[in-house]
Amino acid sequence: MTGPAAGAAPAAAPAAYAAAAARAPFTARARSDIAFCVLTLPLILPVPVIGFAITIGLANLAGPSWMAAGNPSWLAMLTAVAIAVLTAALMVTTGATRALAAAVRRAAGRLLAEQVTPPPPRHTRLGDGPGWRAMAYLMLKLPAGLAECYAVGVFWLAGLVNLTYPFWWLSFRNHSPGVRLSPVPVTTPFDWFGQGHFRVTTFPGTFAAFAAGAGMLLAAPWVTRGVVAADRWLIRGLLGPGRTAQRLQDLEQTRALAVDDAAARLRRLERDLHDGAQIRLATLAMNLGMARKKLGDQGEVPDLVAARELVGAAHRGAKDALVELRELARGIHPPVLDNGLADALASLAATSAIPAELAVSVPVRPTPAIETIAYFCAAELLANAAKHSQANKIKIFITERAGLLVLQVTDDGVGGAEPSRGSGLSGLAQRVAVVDGRLDIASPPGGPTRITVELPLRAGHR
Amino acid sequence: MRIVIAEDAALFRAGLVRLLEDEGHRVCAAVADGEALLAAVASHRPDVVVADVRMPPTFTDEGLRAALELRRSHPGTAVLVLSQYIETRYAAELLHGSPSGVGYLLKDRVADVSEFTDAVGRVAAGGTALDREVVSQLLAASRHAGDLDPLTPRERDVLALMAEGRSNAGIAAALVLTLGTVEKHVASIFAKLGLPASETDNRRVLAVLRYLGS
Repeated sequence: MTGPAAGAAPAAAPAAYAAAAARAPFTARARSDIAFCVLTLPLILPVPVIGFAITIGLANLAGPSWMAAGNPSWLAMLTAVAIAVLTAALMVTTGATRALAAAVRRAAGRLLAEQVTPPPPRHTRLGDGPGWRAMAYLMLKLPAGLAECYAVGVFWLAGLVNLTYPFWWLSFRNHSPGVRLSPVPVTTPFDWFGQGHFRVTTFPGTFAAFAAGAGMLLAAPWVTRGVVAADRWLIRGLLGPGRTAQRLQDLEQTRALAVDDAAARLRRLERDLHDGAQIRLATLAMNLGMARKKLGDQGEVPDLVAARELVGAAHRGAKDALVELRELARGIHPPVLDNGLADALASLAATSAIPAELAVSVPVRPTPAIETIAYFCAAELLANAAKHSQANKIKIFITERAGLLVLQVTDDGVGGAEPSRGSGLSGLAQRVAVVDGRLDIASPPGGPTRITVELPLRAGHR
Repeated sequence: MRIVIAEDAALFRAGLVRLLEDEGHRVCAAVADGEALLAAVASHRPDVVVADVRMPPTFTDEGLRAALELRRSHPGTAVLVLSQYIETRYAAELLHGSPSGVGYLLKDRVADVSEFTDAVGRVAAGGTALDREVVSQLLAASRHAGDLDPLTPRERDVLALMAEGRSNAGIAAALVLTLGTVEKHVASIFAKLGLPASETDNRRVLAVLRYLGS
């Protein structure tokens, strides 16, 4: 790398990082992370665990048959476990866990921008999978919530308190010389159960507390983000619709798209036939009918000139109808596709409006359905590029990678392609989604545009 | 005859104009959608309108709507509707009330120039021109199909041609029979089906269609 900009970058980077680090505690993200930790704090008391604890506590009062030498008897333990399980089951069957899960999803959506799709409505009471997964979340929220407590209570709260030491020290500790006061403890992040804090006894010592506080506050947003990330992970995994339900939802959606798409294609086909080949053939028949009349039934031809002209028109009409039908047939299924994608894409590239370069390396032939989708994707992308990109050159690249067929179409045009702008890209994405494929668009304003389509080699196999 | 044509496919429209003009008719206007058709009829007051069913902007049944509107607003103007498909429902809508001065044909029929111009002439004269496709669909769907059993095959042919709106002379030409033979067949059909004998072709079509459709 050369040039002033490249040279300046390493020098500017540390300063930029330092500024970002100094700003981190004051960002909106830090605030909403704290708000999430505080708001979901009550959830760290899982009801079944409380039930368990209360039972053990009652056993303690009940006497020696339940408690032996300070330890609960087997009977007491069993009862406590049964009560915990019953409580959990009651919470699931009443829908309480689902309600709590909804509240957590809402909080995560508002404060963490973590949008989790709610699970489908429940059908059974006790066998409610999402309800039990929500229960599992509530149990796991105990360690997760304790970690959040630690982040907020120690790093933020104690950090702030440490910062204040130098300010109140002089007003409260301005004792006369010779009077010895007990030292003041300073909380640190390593402060576990009375170990790991340090004490200050003099005013200069308070600056150590201040420094510790500043360090803790600088670290606070990152620590909070870390513990909240763990909580997010639990929320995504346990409070969503679950993998099967999500898959079902996706399938329902793509099936609806496939059905709509098929109906729309048939309608278009009928329209093309009606307005194209059919009317051409009707006109041709009409011209021949008129010509026949001009030729007369037998003997002398009444109007030879007109008859010749009409036969000529009919001949042209027949040829036009043939072209039209051929185009239409190729639009339904290009015959060259039977020879494989390489041949089909080569003939597609050869007829592209913008010069196209093709590279194919697909050792295993995908199923015909996948080949067809890949072909029409390429055709649509080429047509799109010709219409919108103002490119001079297009590269089509198709290969097999990790069991997927990867089609990449790159152009050197103006970029700015977006599915929302009705460029046919959203329709393409839908068609690809039907076979669990993916469409990825990279098209910054100013170009270049690179569109990647990933398809399974076999439709219906994930 | 003075004719207005409504057809959105330019090639076919031009062909129609030529065909009708070659036959000595005058095409006052050739338009491409229903709105323009209504306007052209209002200003030219033609004897016959030849209209396509599917036209812009909706590409559904624009032409049929316009034709029905003309049947109401200009009862004196005959309407011949052309289509690439036959829908019995459209035929029923067109014939609703009276089958006089109305026709419904497949576009394919234009290829037989004499037959087509004959249909145009028949409609203009207040008659009926119903595509044989419509008639065969009516025959197939008729609840009286069983009652047609006593008819001889020839009589069935004659019945179908009557339903298309042909005159006895037309039937005779189409089946290569003498007029007398056709008249005998017609009388026999009416007797077998228990229909009152009708004087005019129109009444006859109506009677046959009512019988098939009821």
